[in-house]
Amino acid sequence: MSDALLAVSGLIAGYGAIEVLRGIDLEVAAGEIVAVLGSNGAGKSTLNRTISGVLRATHGSIRFADSAIERERPATIVARGLIHVPEGRCVFPNLTIMENLDLGSYRRGRVRRESNRERVFAIFPRLAERRSQRAGTLSGGEQQMLAIGRALMAEPKLLILDEPSLGLSPLLVEELFALIRRINGEGIALLLVEQNVVQCLEVARRAYILEKGVFVLHGNSADIRDDPNLKRAYLGL
Amino acid sequence: MLTVVLQQGINGIVFGSLYVLVALGLTLIYGVLVQINFAHADVVTIGAFAAYFFTFAFGGNYLISIGIALMAGAALGWLVNAAIFAPLRERGNELLPLIATIGVSILLQNAMLLWFGPIPYAFDSPYSNKVIRLWGGTFITLQNLIIVVVSALTIALLYAFMKFTFMGKALRAVSQDRETAGLMGVNPNQLIMLTFVIASALAGMGGAMLGPILVLTPFAGTTVIVKAFAIVIIGGFGNVEGTIIAGLVVGLIESYTTQFVNPGLTDIVVFTLLLLMLALRPTGLIAEKREENV
Repeated sequence: MSDALLAVSGLIAGYGAIEVLRGIDLEVAAGEIVAVLGSNGAGKSTLNRTISGVLRATHGSIRFADSAIERERPATIVARGLIHVPEGRCVFPNLTIMENLDLGSYRRGRVRRESNRERVFAIFPRLAERRSQRAGTLSGGEQQMLAIGRALMAEPKLLILDEPSLGLSPLLVEELFALIRRINGEGIALLLVEQNVVQCLEVARRAYILEKGVFVLHGNSADIRDDPNLKRAYLGL
Repeated sequence: MLTVVLQQGINGIVFGSLYVLVALGLTLIYGVLVQINFAHADVVTIGAFAAYFFTFAFGGNYLISIGIALMAGAALGWLVNAAIFAPLRERGNELLPLIATIGVSILLQNAMLLWFGPIPYAFDSPYSNKVIRLWGGTFITLQNLIIVVVSALTIALLYAFMKFTFMGKALRAVSQDRETAGLMGVNPNQLIMLTFVIASALAGMGGAMLGPILVLTPFAGTTVIVKAFAIVIIGGFGNVEGTIIAGLVVGLIESYTTQFVNPGLTDIVVFTLLLLMLALRPTGLIAEKREENV
């Protein structure tokens, strides 16, 4: 896939002397949903933080929409349309919902901020109702919706969701995955980094399985889903 | 008796509002950087000297000199951050910029000592002798009225900036969670610079208004900054509303302790309060909920 929206190759990254990612190759095509699965400590969050520029790669290249981004700052990467919703939602608790959303459009200017807000409120009517409430007063599920809504405010081409289903009730998880399909239906590519294997494989077209900083397996979700040996060996199902 | 209580209340608010101006700068910088700026005191001193030389050497108007001090402070804040703190932050070691603030402080103090000498300057505001009579036998000098009005206007403007402008919201976002703000496309370095400029501008104008009250020497700022540190802690590190309230409270406590207890005890009372706050309510008067990233 040379026309990939995101192409990561030979990526090595970590913290100081500790190497967490030990040679990662990953591609996401425009409009595609791709899942990265793996247990805690496999390096999923490090991968996300390196792609979004919070963490510098020690080796390897990251290309997004035909530009090399591995040396760019998070702010520039956001402006290009690659948006990362961090694990644990990370809404700004002391700002209102509206203020949180507006910050999502930080790089987009006032006019587009307003039209983006209308679009997000249409997807999340509950956020519209509570627009002047402080984000810290929302429930966990609502905060996750806010974090995703805030990311949509940035007009993403690719959205990286880090453990979006973490701590949500089964009902809310259903709602979340329906939402992921809806967002994808608008042409936005998604990189889903999850522990929730079953639903991820349902929604994603392809999946990568991360273990100790390397991909031990990747392929079509359907193939992984339908192969009991693969599931047992790599996913503990 | 009531007159004395009211009068000391007025005096307390005068000092309190100056403390707030100085402490707000510390709080803003702490909020965004989680770093204490020890050089803040010297920005206050330089503001005071800027106002002094503008009024006495060039015969300028005192009110305009407050604006001059504000600009001097802002320029100094910009210069020090651009030349020293920002490059050090790039190194990734959080201790370096902190120690650098101490270094900058000593450097500025000694530079001022060299130029201005150790002998106190008599900075008399033309408004210090104009007395306005208020209700019940109380009064306020025009100078003190200027202090209260200018401080209140400045604090209100800053508050409105933080609350209602997009830049202010981004600043609050950075101080709540710098990494996530970066993921929104906010460039933290720009906002850190903005914070330094605003904080130093406040310190500079605070200096211009403290000048006529303090003994103006190259070390004048340090006497105020110690109280400002106490106020920042009592108000809850990085909390703007808490700092405003704590500043006024400390001003009032000082004023009433001086009148009714013993002038020698004022600092003891203020710092006992500080220790009590640290022991009983370390999050400050108004606790902001900061979420931990697990």
